[in-house]
Amino acid sequence: MSRTLRASISIVLTALLCGAAVPMAEAGGKDRARTSVNNKNVNRNTNVNRNRNTNINSNRNVNIDRDIDIDRDVDIDVDVDRHGCCYHHHSGWGTAAAVTAAAVTTAIVVGSVVNTLPPSCTVMVVNGFTYQQCGTVWYQPQFVGGSTTYVVVNAPR
Amino acid sequence: MKRSPCTQAALAIALALMATSASAQQPAPVPAVDPAAIKALEGMSAYLRNLKSFQVVAVTTTDDVAENGQSIQSSGKTTIVARMPDRLFADVSSDKQERRYLYDGKNFTLWARRAKFYATVPAPPTLAQLDDVLQEKYDMEIPLADLFRFGGPKWSATDIKAASVIGPSGVDGVSCIHYAFRQEDVDFQVWIQRGDHPLPRKLVIVTTSDPERPQHSATYDWNLAPSFDDSIFTFTPPEGAGKVVLAVAK
Repeated sequence: MSRTLRASISIVLTALLCGAAVPMAEAGGKDRARTSVNNKNVNRNTNVNRNRNTNINSNRNVNIDRDIDIDRDVDIDVDVDRHGCCYHHHSGWGTAAAVTAAAVTTAIVVGSVVNTLPPSCTVMVVNGFTYQQCGTVWYQPQFVGGSTTYVVVNAPR
Repeated sequence: MKRSPCTQAALAIALALMATSASAQQPAPVPAVDPAAIKALEGMSAYLRNLKSFQVVAVTTTDDVAENGQSIQSSGKTTIVARMPDRLFADVSSDKQERRYLYDGKNFTLWARRAKFYATVPAPPTLAQLDDVLQEKYDMEIPLADLFRFGGPKWSATDIKAASVIGPSGVDGVSCIHYAFRQEDVDFQVWIQRGDHPLPRKLVIVTTSDPERPQHSATYDWNLAPSFDDSIFTFTPPEGAGKVVLAVAK
C-alpha cells in the first residue's frame, strides 16, 4: 500500500470514527462574538486582547473557546474517546495505538496543561477531587475562564 | 485599436457601474443619537434594576469565527433565577457545555453538570460585586450578564455613539419597539416590551472590533413572580461529583 493511500485511508477512518471532531479541529476556533454589551474588561481592553491573542496566534487554544471536549456528550467515555481519537492522528493509522500512547506518555511533564485528553481516560474521584486517569498519566481538570483545561499531576494517593 | 459598438456600449455600462459603486462607497453621514432611543434604553435599564426577583429563560446563539474566517453559530438555552441583591441560580445548556452557576451570598459554585465536577470559591456579598470578581479575578462572566449591568453603577448611556428607533416589532408574540445602538467595539439592537413592563425581549450584539463581525443573540422569556425554594441557590454536591480548581486569570 502506498504511503499516500495509507494516509488517505487514515484520514477517512479518523473522520469516520471521530465524526464532527475532525472538521472542527481543522477549522479551529479563533474568536468568539461578545456576549455582553456592558463588559468593563472589554472596555478596558484586557479581556478582548487576551482572548484574541490566545486564539488567533495559537492553535493549542482552539479548544478553549469551543470547549466541546469535556461536556458535549452525556456519556463521558464517548466524549473522551472521540477526543483522543483525533488528537494524534498525525501518527498515521498504520501505527499501533500502543506506540502512540508510549510516545505521548514519555512527552508528558507534570504541571503541563492540555486542552484535550488522550484516548481511553477514566474519571476518578480521589479525596473529593476529580481526576482523569489516562493510562499512567493523571490529569486534573480546571475551569479557566469559561472553559476547561487539564493539568498533568502526580498520581493522587 | 478599433472597438465595435458592442464593446463601446459595454465599456460605457462598466464605467457607469464604477461611478455608481464609487458614490455608494462614500462614507455614510454620522448617525445621530436619537434621544428617544436613549430614553427607552434608560427606562429599560432602570426597570431592570428595580426588579427584586425574576426568572428568565433565554434562547441564545453565539458565533465563533473559524480559522478560515467563517462564522460558526452555536446555540444554547440559559435559565436564570435571581433574587436581588445576593442570590443567583443559572443553568446554561449549549452545544458545548452544561454549566450551573450558583451564588448564595457567601459562596459561588460553578458546576459542570455533564462532566460532574465543580469549583466553589468564597464570594462577595452582592451579585454586582460577584460580577466584578468573576470578570477581574476569573476572567469569566455571569450568564446573561447584560441583564445585571444595564442601569448598574458602571453603566452609562454616554458610551453610546449612535442610537435609533427602528420601530414596532413582535418578539415571540410580545409587542415591542426595536432599537439600534452603536458603541465602541459593538453594535447592538434591543427589542423592548411595550407598556408598563419595559423588559428587554431580545438582544443582538455584533462584535465590530472583529473584522468577521461575529454575532450573539438572545431572546428572553420573563417571569417576574417566580416561585422558588431558597435552597436552589446553594450547591450540594451530588453523588460522584468531584472538586476542581477555578483558575485565577493571569
